[in-house]
Amino acid sequence: MLKIGFGAEGTVVIEGRLDAAQAATAQAFLDGVNGSVVLDCTALEYLSSAGLGVLLKTQKRLKAASGALRLTGVNRHVHDIFRYAGFDQIFEITAAP
Amino acid sequence: MTAARAFRPSFDALAELVAFTAAGFEAEGIDRRLLPVVDFALEELFTNVVKYGRSSADIRVELRAIPGGVEGSLTAEGVADFDVTRAPPLDTGLPIEQRQPGGLGLQLTRQMVDSIEYEYQDTQRRSRVTFRKTLA
Repeated sequence: MLKIGFGAEGTVVIEGRLDAAQAATAQAFLDGVNGSVVLDCTALEYLSSAGLGVLLKTQKRLKAASGALRLTGVNRHVHDIFRYAGFDQIFEITAAP
Repeated sequence: MTAARAFRPSFDALAELVAFTAAGFEAEGIDRRLLPVVDFALEELFTNVVKYGRSSADIRVELRAIPGGVEGSLTAEGVADFDVTRAPPLDTGLPIEQRQPGGLGLQLTRQMVDSIEYEYQDTQRRSRVTFRKTLA
C-alpha cells in the first residue's frame, strides 16, 4: 500500500510501496504540487520503474516552472534504484542516516 | 523445494505477488537481504507481461533457493516472443529534458541480477524468464 500527503511545513510525505499498482495514486497527488517541493521518503520502502516514471514526470513539470523536487530520507534500496537509473544526476537526494 | 503460484495478469495482483515473494523467502530459507532486488525483478518482469503480453492466461511465478541466493522465474502462455534480455539499452546519462521512463524496468533488472535467461516455445506461445541473484 501507499500513502502520500502533506506533512509538516509543506513537505510531501510518502510511505509504503510505490509500484505499478500505486503509481496513479502518487501521480494524481504530485500533479497538484508546485514550486520547490521536498519529498520525505523516510518511510518509502520500495520503488519500481513505475515509481521512477512518476517522479521523473513531476520533476520535469516542476523544473519547467523553475521549481524542483528534492528527495530526503532515501533508503539504500531506493537509492540504488536511483543510481542505476541515473536519476541521482537529475534529483537532489539526501540518503537516510 | 520450490515456491510457486499463478497470478492473474493484472496490476491489481502485485500486492499478492509481494506477499507470495515474502512468504516464499521464508519457506525456502532465502536470505531476506535479497528481497528488494527480487521484488523489483519480479514486478518489472510481471508488469512487462501484463502491459505487452496481451494474454488473459495466468502468469506462473516460481522461487527457489540456490547456493548463496535465489532463482526466480516467470512463465506466461499465449504471449508474443519478446526477449527481455535483448531489449535495447537506454542512455541513463541523458539530461532530464531527454529522459523517458519507458524501458528502464527491464534495463535495471538486468543490471541488478546476476544472470537472466529467456526461453520461448512457439507451439504454446510460452515465454519463460529465469533470473538468479546471490549475495556474492
